[in-house]
Amino acid sequence: MNTSEGWTEVAFNNRDPVYLQVVRHFKEQIATGRLAVGQVIPSRRELGALMKINPNTVQKAYKEMEEQQLIITEGNSPSRITNDTKLLNQIRSELLGEAVSAFVASVRKIDVPVDELLQLVRSKYEEGGPEHD
Amino acid sequence: MNHYLKLVHMEVHRFRWVIAILMGITAVCQISALIWTVTQELSRRREQLPLQIGNSFQAPAQEQLTFEWAMFNTQLWFILPILMCISVLALYVFFIWYRDWMGRHTFIYRLLVLPTARYNIYLAKISAFLLFVFGFISFQLILLPIHNVIFKLIVPADQRAGSHIVDAISRNQALVQLIPRQFEQFLYSYGIGTVAVLVIFTAILLERSYRRLGILYGLLYLSGCVLAVMSPVLFFAFDAQYTYLFPNELYAAELIMFVLVLCLSVWLGMRLLAKKITV
Amino acid sequence: MIEVKDIRKRYRRRDVLNGVSFTAVKGEITCLIGVNGAGKSTVLKAIMGLTPISGGSILIDEQALRPGLYEKIAFVPDHLTMPAGMKLSEAIRFMADFYESWNNERASELMQFFRLEPSDKIGSLSKGTAAKFNLLLGLGQDSDYLLMDEPFSGIDLFSREAITNVFTSDLIEGRGVLLTTHEIGEMEHLIDKAVLLQDGKVSRAFNCEEMRYEEGKSVIDIMREVYRA
Repeated sequence: MNTSEGWTEVAFNNRDPVYLQVVRHFKEQIATGRLAVGQVIPSRRELGALMKINPNTVQKAYKEMEEQQLIITEGNSPSRITNDTKLLNQIRSELLGEAVSAFVASVRKIDVPVDELLQLVRSKYEEGGPEHD
Repeated sequence: MNHYLKLVHMEVHRFRWVIAILMGITAVCQISALIWTVTQELSRRREQLPLQIGNSFQAPAQEQLTFEWAMFNTQLWFILPILMCISVLALYVFFIWYRDWMGRHTFIYRLLVLPTARYNIYLAKISAFLLFVFGFISFQLILLPIHNVIFKLIVPADQRAGSHIVDAISRNQALVQLIPRQFEQFLYSYGIGTVAVLVIFTAILLERSYRRLGILYGLLYLSGCVLAVMSPVLFFAFDAQYTYLFPNELYAAELIMFVLVLCLSVWLGMRLLAKKITV
Repeated sequence: MIEVKDIRKRYRRRDVLNGVSFTAVKGEITCLIGVNGAGKSTVLKAIMGLTPISGGSILIDEQALRPGLYEKIAFVPDHLTMPAGMKLSEAIRFMADFYESWNNERASELMQFFRLEPSDKIGSLSKGTAAKFNLLLGLGQDSDYLLMDEPFSGIDLFSREAITNVFTSDLIEGRGVLLTTHEIGEMEHLIDKAVLLQDGKVSRAFNCEEMRYEEGKSVIDIMREVYRA
């Protein structure tokens, strides 16, 4: 499914390079399963219009993703997400790792034993679970 | 050439309502005046004749009415619309430029960035203006035979005498100036008029190029040109006792001055528009 | 490429432009930023030949300015510059008459996109609608460059959004855009290059993404540095 919803609500901050924020968004979409393996992605022009950013920025983002081998462009056909599942899993773990590090860093200040922490995490997760998708 | 013509068309098109209204007023005014004057006279005659049987004083008009007489007696109402047209045109000499700077929608921005040589704008404005002037004159010329026809329609044949249209024109003080009998005179009058308009155009462009001092420059230029064309007369012919130049030479000197002023104005005007003008 | 080299202009004893130099490349969106009166509009007018400069030079694709070049450069001034009595359709006709680079299909598409009525008169348009039509007159040209003077000032939010959408669409694609603004606001992520004017000179000029990458600063951060100092 290539719904446009995943693209139009992205908020950009102005201090990080926008193209890197786009790349990150793609990674998030992959990690959450919104973008599937081998899925076709919008063209540079379309994406610029959807995300309301400069097409040059989209160009840079696509180039970066190609270099990271996240997307494949064959000739004149539209670009698609890579088929390399290993790479995709890597991204998933990368994002997870980042999120966990950030979480751990923020709760470390509150002195809490790990078991209690894990219980809290579990209950919160289950609470918010059904509404998530 | 194409751009020039399109600009001329644009200038004429934006003035079309003024032209139409002025022509309309002129026609209505003149025709009404004609009809009114002639019918007045006809009815006066019908009434007076019985009264003055036996008197021997002269009737104010000849036995029979002529178109020439009609033209003479309708002068005021003929001249008034003509004066109106002249005033409007005199104002438009300035307004044809200033209107592009006025208001919220300064059209001059659009004109100046057109991918066309700037002198086309200049030429288009003077061309359009001359078209207006000659347009009005032509309109008046067309009206005259129409007036003649109307005259013939109103006045019964037995009270009417023929007259030549040229004589009729000469009875109207304004028309005699505006439509000269000799072509040479026509050239002189309208040639001088054209030069005057071009001098004013250049003065306007000076004003628009040099904001604060612009008005001063414009007025100085105007005075300079007036002095220049008067100079042969001032220097050589003023003293009634003796004139240094033969009339022919004076004439040639004047002609040269006019040509010089013309060339200078056109050159300066075009140059200002191309290089110095500012919005 | 539009090259502005060391241009100067005096106006009533003030050096409005005191040696301004920068370039605007085709395919990029360059933004001239400065406080009110900094001379941004003057720079655009100088490029368009609407005001003379007293020094320096301006080159478009390495050529000096001449009337024929304006087929390649479209200008959207800060106000609509067509006579008030003209209808929108007549204004488009006017542009088509004089510009070989005029694209009538695109003009019609834009009339529909902006929801404009061809029989309306210029004088009757609201400010937002006039801004949209103004933009149309610029975009209707198949020009290499598009100059825009304060495209967003005084416009209501929805007209502003419509205009912003134009920047991300294929209407701008491939053109070199040079615009001026005094409030960068939400536009920041749309522009490629920022040129900051102060006291008649260029005080900073940089590529926005590079600035974010190298210094982690937004355009507004740089503006604070420059204008508060």
